Amino acid sequence: MLTPVEWDALRLSLQVAASATLVSLPLAIGAAWVLARGRFWGRRLLDAVVHAPLVLPPVVVGYLLLLALGVRGPIGGWLDRTFGIRLVFTTAGAALAAGVMSFPLMVRAIRLSLDAVDGGLEWAARTLGATRLDVFFSVTLPLMLPGIVSGCIVAFASSLGEFGATITFASNIEGETRTLPLAIFSAIQSPDGDQVALRLVILSFVLAIGALALAEVSDARVRKMLGRG
Amino acid sequence: MTRRWLLAVGVFVLAASADARLEEPALTVFAASSLTPPLEQLAARARTVTGARVRFSFASSATLARQIDAGAGADIIMTADDTWMTYLADRRRLESGTRTAILGNRLVMVVPADQPIVVQLTPRFDLGRLIGRGRLAIGDPSHVPAGTYAREALMALGLWSTVEHALAPADSARAALALVERGETPAGIVYESDAALSSKVVVAGVFPDTSHRPIVYEAAIVRGRDTRAARAYLAFLRSTEARAVFTDHRFTVK
Amino acid sequence: MITFTARKQLGSFQLDATFTAPPGGITAIFGRSGAGKTTIINLVAGILQPDQGRIAVGGTVFCDTAGGISLPPERRRVGFVFQDSRLFPHLSVDGNLRFGLTRAREASPRLAFDAVVRVLGVGHLLSRRPQSLSGGERQRVALGRALLAQPRILLMDEPLASLDGLRKADILPYIERLRDEFAIPIIYVSHALDEVIRLADSLVVVSDGRVAASGPLTEILSRLDLQPLLGRFEAGAVLDCRVASHDAHYRLSTLEFDGGRLRVPRVDRPAGEQVRVRLRARDISLALSEPVDVSITNRLAGTVTAVVDRDGIFVEVAVAIGGSSIRALVSREAYDRLGLEVGRPVWALIKTVALDNRSLGLLRTPRREDA
Repeated sequence: MLTPVEWDALRLSLQVAASATLVSLPLAIGAAWVLARGRFWGRRLLDAVVHAPLVLPPVVVGYLLLLALGVRGPIGGWLDRTFGIRLVFTTAGAALAAGVMSFPLMVRAIRLSLDAVDGGLEWAARTLGATRLDVFFSVTLPLMLPGIVSGCIVAFASSLGEFGATITFASNIEGETRTLPLAIFSAIQSPDGDQVALRLVILSFVLAIGALALAEVSDARVRKMLGRG
Repeated sequence: MTRRWLLAVGVFVLAASADARLEEPALTVFAASSLTPPLEQLAARARTVTGARVRFSFASSATLARQIDAGAGADIIMTADDTWMTYLADRRRLESGTRTAILGNRLVMVVPADQPIVVQLTPRFDLGRLIGRGRLAIGDPSHVPAGTYAREALMALGLWSTVEHALAPADSARAALALVERGETPAGIVYESDAALSSKVVVAGVFPDTSHRPIVYEAAIVRGRDTRAARAYLAFLRSTEARAVFTDHRFTVK
Repeated sequence: MITFTARKQLGSFQLDATFTAPPGGITAIFGRSGAGKTTIINLVAGILQPDQGRIAVGGTVFCDTAGGISLPPERRRVGFVFQDSRLFPHLSVDGNLRFGLTRAREASPRLAFDAVVRVLGVGHLLSRRPQSLSGGERQRVALGRALLAQPRILLMDEPLASLDGLRKADILPYIERLRDEFAIPIIYVSHALDEVIRLADSLVVVSDGRVAASGPLTEILSRLDLQPLLGRFEAGAVLDCRVASHDAHYRLSTLEFDGGRLRVPRVDRPAGEQVRVRLRARDISLALSEPVDVSITNRLAGTVTAVVDRDGIFVEVAVAIGGSSIRALVSREAYDRLGLEVGRPVWALIKTVALDNRSLGLLRTPRREDA
């Protein structure tokens, strides 16, 4: 039903979106926590940095990633020398680009739900013998769940459609980084690529609807778990 | 208060549009990205000669051709590959009789300037060792002229199968060059003219002319845009002055 | 034994309080809204840190600013019942109850799950979610949750404040049961005197961030100088009595106290049990001689020990009756007309009607163990 090229693109899109979301999640929770509850010099600066991918053109973000994580960049060079890890041209690199672009969306959603958690409940848990860490995992985190789920869905959907940062940072390598948007781009570039492009567009559509349906189901589940709605 | 704002906005809009009407004629030139340096250098002189301001859009020949096919407002198209010029001709997008060959180029292998080597591009060349576990940067062979030439040359030398699965296909020759400049790939295949303008890469070897079709840069006027300025520009490209600049940039002239 | 000394600045409010509370029973912290009661209990729990001070409960030092000691709340082992219950919405009632229990990590907990559930009557609610419970049910679960954390002391911050009169009356017995069945010391914050009178053994009166008085309940309540802090129309005394006998025919009971007897409407308690009676000053009349041709049943002989003017219209008279002390509110006119003065023998007259069930509270049974 699907050609190998199309399968690759679909598989890569799902892989990239899933890993971008999962890896970003703990970082986003941490960032949301620090931004919501931290009181330190430089908090506003951190806030700006976290939100930068939201306002910068994706290609710029991709370029900045290249500067930092390319084989000659400060971090990329260290990764290459120490672990032999290179990110450009790899699926991991594509996931990184997508993850960075969707990070601010995730942080915002999570932070909103964190702000909504009643601090009084956290104190109540402390008096019942829970340490700060225990309070976080047994009270705060469960109550943040709607925001976390929402953040994941937004990040996943955004990663599915990510193009500019991915093609700039990870390049357009078939089977490695050629996600659906990049595959469509490549098809459009080629002569006689219109048919392929159309098929890929339809595939993207189906994927989007699937993601939306998943979002609805998770939302309902979480509401039930918290005894609302 | 609101009326004064409206008045101000109105004046502003008029002024802006008036400015546009008083402009001199503009010439929009779509050109393959490898032509960027010489054409930009010639832009000022071209304006004097043609009496028109020249605006450029540089991209891969494939992208430009598709854009013109979709109705982009270009006056002149310059491609790095006759395939794409033929593509447009077939679709009757060109003003008949204006298609001319202007330049040639050579295909070279480049490496980052801080790791210079010299290679012989023959069938006996150990490309696999040069690449190692990295990739070879080339234009995307499926649509970028520099890439199609590169594939042709590699195939002719029997080296294609070695690197077929270790390519870094870029959207233009310039993008391929950038990958080598940054050291993301140990080597790349670009035009000699591209290699010349970057101090961060050096030419490791030149592909023999026999290993690929001749690289021909063609220019043509887009159908329906046949103006005096457009013709003047085409003529200017063949002028001695222009040819000198092209040669400086390591193009060959026809 | 609870020793408390703390100074704390919160915005424009300054707390500077010192008191000690006995090791067992219920100690009430009483005062008007904004007096500093919640601040005090939050300091004991560790939710607030004092700027300066030392707080120790039962030999364990919770915090000592001089010595640099400060235990976090989770290490203090206090059970806290909040005014708004603060049940965890993502857990069932069972989950809420067990929250502190699992963290107490006791192999055989002294306050056992089944016993607490039974005493508080929440067994049928275990699988429910807090959101589906009524206010009274929520507070009972909150009580249970705090108890099951195996605390060394229970802290209650106006636990009945958000309930209406009927619900309050329902819950008060449960708190009394806690005190009786589990023998756990309780600190009870409230601005409602009737709750305090019903439940407390000792009292700490707080006003404007300072402790105005502290000591056994009956003693504090009989002090005339504290009147403004306790509220004029609630003025009165509290007597610790023992049920002596019941009159089946007239449906009355006789209570004995140190100084005499009281006949009250039938009290549903067996003979020998301790009962606390509140006598409102406005319900007590004074006479120079014992009137016999009068409907008033309770006529007690005593001596005037103190007089305080109230607004120029009334005076409040403290009368010693045996070893107890009660207060009567009479008009200045009557006081002068009768020629009353300190030292004068008088008769205090109390209508049986005035001593209804709402005035009566229950003390611990004599079987209790002192902490």
